[in-house]
Amino acid sequence: MAHDERLEELAALQALGLPLGGESGAFARHREEGCPTCEELLVDFQISASALAAAVPARRPRPELKQRILGSLPGARPAVVAMPRRPSGAAWWLAAAAALLFAFAAWDDARLRRQREDLRSQTAQLSAELSTARQEMARRDLRVRVLESDDVKVLFLGGKDPQPSARAKVFWSEKAKTGMLLAGNLAPLPPDKQYELWVFAEGKPVAAGVFDADASGRALFESTSLPGVAAAQNFAVTVEPRGGVSQPTGPIVLVGTPAAG
Amino acid sequence: MCSATGGPAMNADSREADRALVARVERRDAEALAVLYDRHAGRLMGLAQRILGDTGEAEEILQEVFLHVWKAAATFDPSRGPVLAWLLVATRSRSIDRVRSRRPGKRGGTVGLEEAPETASREDVEADAAGREWETHCRAAISELPEDQRRALELAYFEGLTHQEIAERTATPLGTVKTRVRLGLMKLRERIRPYRKSEAHGA
Repeated sequence: MAHDERLEELAALQALGLPLGGESGAFARHREEGCPTCEELLVDFQISASALAAAVPARRPRPELKQRILGSLPGARPAVVAMPRRPSGAAWWLAAAAALLFAFAAWDDARLRRQREDLRSQTAQLSAELSTARQEMARRDLRVRVLESDDVKVLFLGGKDPQPSARAKVFWSEKAKTGMLLAGNLAPLPPDKQYELWVFAEGKPVAAGVFDADASGRALFESTSLPGVAAAQNFAVTVEPRGGVSQPTGPIVLVGTPAAG
Repeated sequence: MCSATGGPAMNADSREADRALVARVERRDAEALAVLYDRHAGRLMGLAQRILGDTGEAEEILQEVFLHVWKAAATFDPSRGPVLAWLLVATRSRSIDRVRSRRPGKRGGTVGLEEAPETASREDVEADAAGREWETHCRAAISELPEDQRRALELAYFEGLTHQEIAERTATPLGTVKTRVRLGLMKLRERIRPYRKSEAHGA
């Protein structure tokens, strides 16, 4: 994907920690493609945004805040306060002990409540992080299996009528017998239709899986593993009934131009 | 504070010291957390108060942030930036969440940067000369931005407003807002880049 102002706007939003809305998937995929301009821009924008924080004058919190924080740390002992030894009667000790007990109970209750709230928000945060990490892992796994295999070949697919502006790249690994398709400018399809990828082997099309394009017409799709394909000669994408078919029936929207020989 | 993402407000020693403190916090060393607090609470408080416009709430955010550090020190990843970056992101995101949760009621942090009062309680927590110089540089860079770009950036950064929300707040077309935010960051980047390059390499 070429670098443009829209990507710069998305990089700006990302750097400011703001939601990217419907374009978040597209931007993530663009970064997956590896755009050094965007990566550099993101870092620079983050630093630029933090200039806004740097310009804010520091402010001294009230001194008791520090003690409040240190006193609320779960798993840490509260600060031990040395009691001055003074001669006094049993009543004084009883009153002091009761007061201490009361203060401790109140402190402990508040501490537990805060702990509970913290745990709840931490759990939500962790499960969100886990889900993001899983998605990231799946993407990396895809990369490792296809993009980084030593026999990967890349074929460009051009758009055909009725979608002449569609375009795609296929990364195919002969060893893994699988590939990855990265497409753009795909037209939206009716709900009962899907795009289907075909691998041409020995002059015949073999179904390699169905996929949908996102709202911005992009698609990142890992093909079905096709152990029966000895050597992929070409690739094409057609529009087919949702779920796919075993032989192409719909119009070809993308087709590759294999190298001669 | 721009050192949050690799900028030069703190030197390498200072960053190293922060990382060592977080490692100690991970081992349940409350004293290390206290030192971390002494080093950065002023900056975090300034940021939280700027966003929330309320001292009490800003202190609550600080409490949450340091409690988070205590519990999640193990999740700190030095490869993603210095400790101060981690603290600032935690402070900003919690403050913005709180501002968002109280909408559409009163809003905090609507005071412009140069209008923000420099109170007598101002504290230079990182009182090193490099840090102060960097802050001065950042202020100068921001003051040189065209008013509309600066305003759009402040609304995004301090109030967490999206493009659409900024457009509504300032009665400006959405496309114009997108351009202002982008150009504002581009200009800050141009102003800050030479300064970063002239700095010694940090952590």
